[in-house]
Amino acid sequence: MCGNVKETGKRIVRYIYLVIVLCLGIFIISVPFWGKGSFLDPNLGVFNWGLAATVFVSLAVLGFFQEFESAAAGAKEIALVSMLGTISALSRLPFAAMMGFQPCGLFIICAGYVFGPMAGFMVGCLTILISNLFLGHGPWTPYQMFSWGLVGVTAAWLRRCDLLRGKVAVLVVFGFVWGYLYGLIMNIWFWTNFVYPLTLKTYLLTLLNAVVWDGTRALANAFFVGFFGARVIGVLERFKKRFSWNAV
Amino acid sequence: MQISLRYKDKGTVIHRLNPFAKLAWVGSVTLLAVIFEHPLFLLLLFLATLPVVILARAWREWVSLIRFVIYMSLVIVIINSLVMYHGTHVLLEFTFEIPTLGNPKITLEAICFGLGMSLRLLAIVSAFTVLNFTVHPDDLMLAMIKLKLPYKSVLAMSMSTRFIPTLAGDLERITDVQRARGLEMDKGRLRQKLKSRGAVLIPLLANSLDRTVQVAEAMESRAFGALKKRTYHREIRLGTYDLVTVCAAISPFFFGLYLRYLGYGGYRYYPSLQKIDPGQTGWLFLAALAVLLLLILPLAWRRRRYILD
Repeated sequence: MCGNVKETGKRIVRYIYLVIVLCLGIFIISVPFWGKGSFLDPNLGVFNWGLAATVFVSLAVLGFFQEFESAAAGAKEIALVSMLGTISALSRLPFAAMMGFQPCGLFIICAGYVFGPMAGFMVGCLTILISNLFLGHGPWTPYQMFSWGLVGVTAAWLRRCDLLRGKVAVLVVFGFVWGYLYGLIMNIWFWTNFVYPLTLKTYLLTLLNAVVWDGTRALANAFFVGFFGARVIGVLERFKKRFSWNAV
Repeated sequence: MQISLRYKDKGTVIHRLNPFAKLAWVGSVTLLAVIFEHPLFLLLLFLATLPVVILARAWREWVSLIRFVIYMSLVIVIINSLVMYHGTHVLLEFTFEIPTLGNPKITLEAICFGLGMSLRLLAIVSAFTVLNFTVHPDDLMLAMIKLKLPYKSVLAMSMSTRFIPTLAGDLERITDVQRARGLEMDKGRLRQKLKSRGAVLIPLLANSLDRTVQVAEAMESRAFGALKKRTYHREIRLGTYDLVTVCAAISPFFFGLYLRYLGYGGYRYYPSLQKIDPGQTGWLFLAALAVLLLLILPLAWRRRRYILD
């Protein structure tokens, strides 16, 4: 009984946390539209938009970590995401000099697709946390974790849709589109901290500057998922059936 | 597969410093770089990282990183010069028109803003060099646990670092086995090469997943998750001296916040550049901030003496 009350309390705190993060996100995105001229205007320099965006992204990642605390019931789930995260991180290292052309998207997409959104998010996060031990951490790390994490989360959604399930072509297109969506999120870090004024025009120019990075990432995702996707998903599915894993 | 961490134990005073102190110091410099706009304050932050990098004997790695930052700085200057026409000192005005941007006009103010922001990026990347090259990943994870970050996520990260050498070994072994079976890795067209890589990747994945089950069983047989209170083989001790160092490392941030409250550290680039001289009090505050930023160095030296004694 006492345990149940404690669990419910924890769940309520978690929901409150998620609502706060969501509100903060909506606030950050919407203020440039209704806050022009006020002290919240990003271009007046009173409110630091780069810092606000970084805090939001970090809190969102922490929110997902909290969810993983309850989603991962035991050692099995933790060991699985760790192993897939390591494979994904190691696959990123030899391709470090090739801009965005890295095969880590393959493992993140397949992990999310087979083992569910939380596993996908964690594999995405671990890919960055581990590979950046070799490539270098920085204030960009939370953005990378968030972006690759979302790739894993959304890959799991594809499986829930009957029309999209079981088609590698869908995953190829999905990976390609995410190559650019990743850039949309990642460039916010650069844009809010180093570009002035913060307008749609300057944001688009920042995106234009990164178009080669995003393009190579999109191509890599599509290429690796297209070539290895079906076989990797096959191995993961077999493993899932063999040990009767539930989606995390 | 030869892989090496950015961290190298060089046994310097910076390497021996408490990880919490280094985290606090890097956090302070990064946050100050974000809240300051004045080029002199940003330059100070950047310069303050240099003695720490030199003492950590990480300057060679630092130089290779800074090359990338210089490229990014160029991008920052170009983007800002192309989109911001509010400056009064026009250096160059083009006659052609770029869709949505209009007639490009390069102003001195826009270039200076770009250079100021480049200093910000330099300070941040340089500060993170200290974290990347002098904090052991295990210490980083222990610090995360001490900071009460979600335990299972930190454990997953910790396990991942432990899997790296195992996976590298597996990869080597599987590659050797496939070669022994006659697989030629680097021969043929792209499609053939990819097929050969697949012959290594898929067994590696299957083998790793089996290992996952073994690791999970080992953890459960050692009663993982049975007790809420955990014990650790290795702990980061936070003694009185370390606490003093952490406070010293975080003090520049609070002092910087106070300076911003007083109106120092801000700078107006548009429509024309503000005078760069921060005034007598401004210079005094800059000197005080420099002292606070470098306070970590004598404390690091003293800590080594303290441990040796």
